[in-house]
Amino acid sequence: MAHARSSQTAPLTARQAGLVACHRCGRVHTADAQKCVRCGAVLSSRDDTSLQRVWAWLAAGMVAYVPANLYPMLETTSLGKTSDSTLIGGGIELFRHGSYGIAAIVIVASVVIPIGKFMAISYLALKVARRDGASVHLRHRMYEVVDLIGRWSMIDVFVVAILSSLVQLGAAASVKPGIAALSFALSVAFTMLSAMSFDPRLIWDADKDGARDPA
Amino acid sequence: MTLPDPPQMEIEARRRSPWRNLSLVWLVPVLAIVVSLGVVWKNYSDRGILISISLPAAASIIPGESTVRFRDVVVGVVENVRFAPGFASVIVDARINREVAATLPENSGFWVVRPVVTTRGISGLSTVLSGVYIEGDWEPVTGSSLTEFKGLAEAPIVRPGRKGSRITLRSTDASMLPEGAPVYYRGVEVGQLDVAHVSPDGGSAIVDAFINAPYDRYVTTATRFWDTSGFTVKLGPGGVDLNVASVGALLTGGVAFDSAFTGGEPLKADTVFNLFVDETAARQSIFTQTGDNALEMAIIFAGSVNGLSSGAPVEYRGLRVGKVTAINAFIESSPSGGREVKLRTTVDIEPLALGLTAETGRTEALAFLRDAVVHGMRARLTTTSIFSAGLKVELVELTDVAPAEIVEGENDIPILPNVPSDLPNFTATAEGVLQRVNALPIEEVMQQAISLMASIEGIASSKGTQEVPGALAKLLEDGRAFLNKDDTQALPTELRGAIADLRSVVADLQNRGAVEKLARVLESAEKIAANVAVTSQDFPKLVNDLRDLAAKAKALKTEDLVDKTTALLASADALIGSPATRALPGDLSNALAEIQAALKELREGGAVSNVNAALSSANTAAKSVATAAEDLPKLTAELQGLVDKANSLVDGYGEQSSFNRETLSLLRELQATAKAVSQLARTIERNPNSLLIGR
Repeated sequence: MAHARSSQTAPLTARQAGLVACHRCGRVHTADAQKCVRCGAVLSSRDDTSLQRVWAWLAAGMVAYVPANLYPMLETTSLGKTSDSTLIGGGIELFRHGSYGIAAIVIVASVVIPIGKFMAISYLALKVARRDGASVHLRHRMYEVVDLIGRWSMIDVFVVAILSSLVQLGAAASVKPGIAALSFALSVAFTMLSAMSFDPRLIWDADKDGARDPA
Repeated sequence: MTLPDPPQMEIEARRRSPWRNLSLVWLVPVLAIVVSLGVVWKNYSDRGILISISLPAAASIIPGESTVRFRDVVVGVVENVRFAPGFASVIVDARINREVAATLPENSGFWVVRPVVTTRGISGLSTVLSGVYIEGDWEPVTGSSLTEFKGLAEAPIVRPGRKGSRITLRSTDASMLPEGAPVYYRGVEVGQLDVAHVSPDGGSAIVDAFINAPYDRYVTTATRFWDTSGFTVKLGPGGVDLNVASVGALLTGGVAFDSAFTGGEPLKADTVFNLFVDETAARQSIFTQTGDNALEMAIIFAGSVNGLSSGAPVEYRGLRVGKVTAINAFIESSPSGGREVKLRTTVDIEPLALGLTAETGRTEALAFLRDAVVHGMRARLTTTSIFSAGLKVELVELTDVAPAEIVEGENDIPILPNVPSDLPNFTATAEGVLQRVNALPIEEVMQQAISLMASIEGIASSKGTQEVPGALAKLLEDGRAFLNKDDTQALPTELRGAIADLRSVVADLQNRGAVEKLARVLESAEKIAANVAVTSQDFPKLVNDLRDLAAKAKALKTEDLVDKTTALLASADALIGSPATRALPGDLSNALAEIQAALKELREGGAVSNVNAALSSANTAAKSVATAAEDLPKLTAELQGLVDKANSLVDGYGEQSSFNRETLSLLRELQATAKAVSQLARTIERNPNSLLIGR
């Protein structure tokens, strides 16, 4: 009854059903099962350390993002002249030279997306298990976007990697990755790990709380 | 069966401590922060020290790009370029590595490296592509905290911190001393020239030279520098001498140095060397320049120092050891009470040139000279060369001299004893000749000659003599056939000529012109002889000849000649002044008068007896003429002898002197006169009738 009522207002969760699914192979066990009988993975209804890991990876990613912006991304040596370009500096320079499209791509990939990800993950982690704010459904959508788009932040790193492997013409011109390239790659990797650490099931717990507290 | 209600799960998880619940993942951000902080700290600690370099111009320095290098290693980056207050210069702020900045001394040199093309090559070519950079060079010190430096406009020739010595060269012309020109020592490039500039007084060009270690120890006070640029061509007895240091030096210029003499003190700071035009001048400079420790000495020469001038060399065995600095006169009271003007020659003697060391003090050098004087060293005047009358002071070592020593004179200047030179001896000889000439009884000769002249003039101007031609004219007028006697006509003319000659000679003698001429002849002979004698050993024969000549001249029986001349003149005087001679014109006059009378009688158709009487009268006259003329051959002979003697004397003196000519012509005239008189006498004697018949 209560179940039926609850399931009408909100879908019944596995936890409410006294079940736990294996995270790896998907087999459903009873709540008291400790190990998956099929693949042997440790079963847990909710990942207790999820938020901790989210915050930890996120912090690491943000820390790594600082030098990624302060240090040069590329060291271009052309006819003996060496010029450094940072992430934002390069974007601004492209913008100045009139390459608005490329400038937009660079700035979006190197500034907007990482910062957006930081904000999104922080928001999700902060608002988990709370009812206020965006709807559960929107939060889930947000999580999926963050998870999907994370890898595309690596576009800058790819550009640097390709350039530095292609443009090695000795004294005439050469491109070397700067410290920022490593930092940025680390930052993106940490952010992706952060997003992956997030247990989206926690979102539904908030929904359950909401369902538990009908008006 | 109904599905049993699922048991209500009581999740009463024991509240674990938050520390135990802590995930290991937290290590990652902690690590990231630690690493970041570490990087920041390292960056900060590695951050260089900001120094400011003031440069005349920024020379395309780009902040953030242009580097600062030391020994071609990048040690810093330019951060900022700004103007100095007043816009007088540009200040470049550069961040220099911390450990490098601590080694910067105050005289660090910073300059902008740019491409430079000079005759010595191209430098800084790499900056064409890479852009300019600031090169610094300094001798690293420790614990420096200086941050403000003065930059250089151009790369210095001598990098700061290079081991070596900096010296200053002074030259009159630095046109062949470009910046960076090499300095050679025995053909090895051991240094470089800096930028030449004009001395503050504008009198010379000053160029700094840097001699690299260890070659700088070859530069001492004994070192002389010379210009090797260009080439020298010398034409001398050895042929043509072309000297080119090297083709490089021909283009780029350069200087070389070497020690001009042994010894020499080590360099002092700010030593200034004169730059000589070539090696010869440089090496000879030690003879023209005396050092600081030159010994000042005085020499008091007894004779004349005519020809000795300030700067004249003082030589010892032909090597120049000093120079004459002053010649002046001073008055010395002689022991007899009188005051005497003496000539003091001040000389500077270079101890170095004597073989003493440069450190030799005045006392030691003086002691050395004292010893030398005791062993017979003396100063002596000699001529400098065969072609000049200039004198020099020679230090000679003589064995047979009276002992002497150096005494302190006025102002404690030691006086070097001297010996009379050969020169005054020779002069004395010539003077002796002149004295003898002076002592000749020329006055008497002249007196005699004057009285002779007077007598001859008396004859010539006597009424009787003057009447002879008149009477003869009358005789011719009256009887042309009888009157054509050339000898008689010529007689007065010749006598007059002789008188005129004698007069001119006497005038000459009176004016003492002849004596002066003779003196001058002797003087020039002496001078030539002196030059010849002293300067060259190749001419002793000539000198001997000249001396022989002088001796001959001295030994010449000049007195005899003069005596004989005197005697001749005396006899001539006696002859002319004898009553017979005086009577001659009278007799002639009488004879002519008688002839005239006879002719008159003949014209009047007179008797032959008158003719005979006339002839006898003529005979008488002729006889008296003959008597008078008896002495004439003797006179002629004596004159001949005189002429011969004079000839030989003149041969001794040479033939071109005016005195000789005058004397000779006088004597020849006298001879001719005597001959003419003699001839007349003989003619009359042989043929008295010729007076009458004109043959």
